[in-house]
Amino acid sequence: MDAWWQCEVPYPFVPQEILNATDSVRASLPNRYCDPKVAADLFEEVIDEFLLCDDLGMNVLAVEHHAGINSLLGANPVLVGILARQTRQVRILSLGTLISLRKDPVRVAEEYATADVISRGRLEIGFVKSGGTEMASNNANPVNNIERYWEAIDLIKKALSHHDGPFSWEGKHFTHRHVNIWPRPWQQPHPRMWSATGDPETAAEVGRRGMVHVLVLRGPDGTKRAYAAHRKARAELGLPKVTTDNFAYAAFVYVGDTDDEGLRVGSKLLWFLHTSLKSAPQYSRFLPGNAPPEAAPQVYRTAPKAAPGAVLSAGQNAARLTSISAEQAMAQGILFAGNPDSVYKQVMNFYDQVGGFGHLSLVGRSGFMTHAESEKSIRLFTKDVLPRLREIKPVTVE
Amino acid sequence: MSAGLVVGGIDVEVVRRGAGHPVLLLHGMQTVDPRAPFLEMLGQHAQIIAPSHPGFGRSRRPADFETVYDLVHFYLELLDALPHEKLTLIGLSFGGWIAAELAVKCRHRLDGLVLVDAFGIKVSDRETRDILDVFNTAPQEVRRLSWHDPVTWAPDLDTLADDELVIRARNWESLCLYGWNPYMYNPQLKRWLRRITVPTLVVWGASDGIVKPPYGRAYSELIPGSRFELVERAGHHPEIEQPRAFVDTVVKFLNR
Repeated sequence: MDAWWQCEVPYPFVPQEILNATDSVRASLPNRYCDPKVAADLFEEVIDEFLLCDDLGMNVLAVEHHAGINSLLGANPVLVGILARQTRQVRILSLGTLISLRKDPVRVAEEYATADVISRGRLEIGFVKSGGTEMASNNANPVNNIERYWEAIDLIKKALSHHDGPFSWEGKHFTHRHVNIWPRPWQQPHPRMWSATGDPETAAEVGRRGMVHVLVLRGPDGTKRAYAAHRKARAELGLPKVTTDNFAYAAFVYVGDTDDEGLRVGSKLLWFLHTSLKSAPQYSRFLPGNAPPEAAPQVYRTAPKAAPGAVLSAGQNAARLTSISAEQAMAQGILFAGNPDSVYKQVMNFYDQVGGFGHLSLVGRSGFMTHAESEKSIRLFTKDVLPRLREIKPVTVE
Repeated sequence: MSAGLVVGGIDVEVVRRGAGHPVLLLHGMQTVDPRAPFLEMLGQHAQIIAPSHPGFGRSRRPADFETVYDLVHFYLELLDALPHEKLTLIGLSFGGWIAAELAVKCRHRLDGLVLVDAFGIKVSDRETRDILDVFNTAPQEVRRLSWHDPVTWAPDLDTLADDELVIRARNWESLCLYGWNPYMYNPQLKRWLRRITVPTLVVWGASDGIVKPPYGRAYSELIPGSRFELVERAGHHPEIEQPRAFVDTVVKFLNR
């Protein structure tokens, strides 16, 4: 198993009374509450943490979120470019430029090819469908988002792997009559591609395309179901079976010297759920395309009837998480925290519950966790947990 | 009475009322409620044909249908399919945009145009939005700005039936697909409004906070010979909040 360090560079330093008064901590909170000097310090600390991971042999992962306290990484390619140059040995996953928000996928392909070359072939390319607030902050139509998602991936893939001069793309959502990027990527035919999704339909397409499939904070049931949809879709097409290397899981992780320290400091990560998910109804339950119209009786009413057995949308999953306790988060496989032995056992317990995965993404710094606390967890994880996880080799999943 | 239509292979539901001179009524952000009193009132003076746009109500949306251009051409085909030589076209809100586009293209089939709190053009400068962003604004604020008297008229989502909620969500999704960007207008339309040579009435709710009366006046001034009328004590839906005054204004125009 491989491990990836992830920090979304949250900005928690907005007074609580402001956060309480606002209807959404994303998309519409005025940026006067973001002090650029504080932001600069945060970036410096987080990039130093990524570089510490590089020294200690843990891969790094850069996400993208827009216009909110949850993350300052609206310009993901900038961070990816910095990591491409400043790290020297580990792999770099961009998870990812939010491609259905970008007007020109060819430009995204250029950015990725450049980062792949600068890093001499250490880039991995991840795709994420984006959240409701990001439709607003990027002027992106939420209704046909998923169509743009797949078409942009197709265009980026072709732009990265086509080497015979300009080609033309006249698709439904993107047109570009003269695609011919320089440099071409270091890795041939293109860097490995990842996709993050929990919904079964998208999971099936991720499977058919053979991408690395990452689940974020979904817990064992939702994760297992998504992996199963991935495998089933491949089986239906007669495609070769995949190994656990095709599956990834992202959770909050904190390693301390003791269980008590791990849990105490690790609990700080839940700020992400408790505080940074607050989103106004127009960006969530009333957002067109957020749920199929047939779900309106559950979604539109203030006290909806429960729909038994329904798969939660990303928004519903988020709502479920805003009030979770550290103990609940651990029980649900969202938080792995404790001393190195305990964290290893929790990860492997989750591994067994979902039928195995080959990549663990550590959402390792969030909220008010300090730089020193993050570095301590990175050191303990890479010294006492990662070597044991590395012994878990990819196996074919039946 | 309600009988559907099939136009160019697309089956759409149609609300019909009354008899006499044909009026094609194009609904706004939500479909026309068959129980709305203004339908009965107007039906005493005209034959109302009110289709649900493809993707709205129970009308099918073909998978490749996602721009107002598609809706305009759908309605051009629908006009071809109707037996009447001339019709009066009434467009409410989002449907007003479609109506204005049709009147630019197909004036020979029309004998009158009524735009009611219509979308469709850009009036103010680039940093002043003409039309409230209903998708990115808090729902309670959209509700407040939609009605003169929201307490009386705004629908209560908690008491609507399941199927009504599904229709509303479907309408919302289609509206978003068609109108997201540029938001609820066609940058080219304003230039061509001068081609509308049929008699035109522009009706506006005096309290409309979705798109305000000065926009309606500007719209009216761009259409040669058009008349502008305010309906007092009404917001974005004068046909619902003040059905009597609304129908009287329209009937006066029809009988001009």
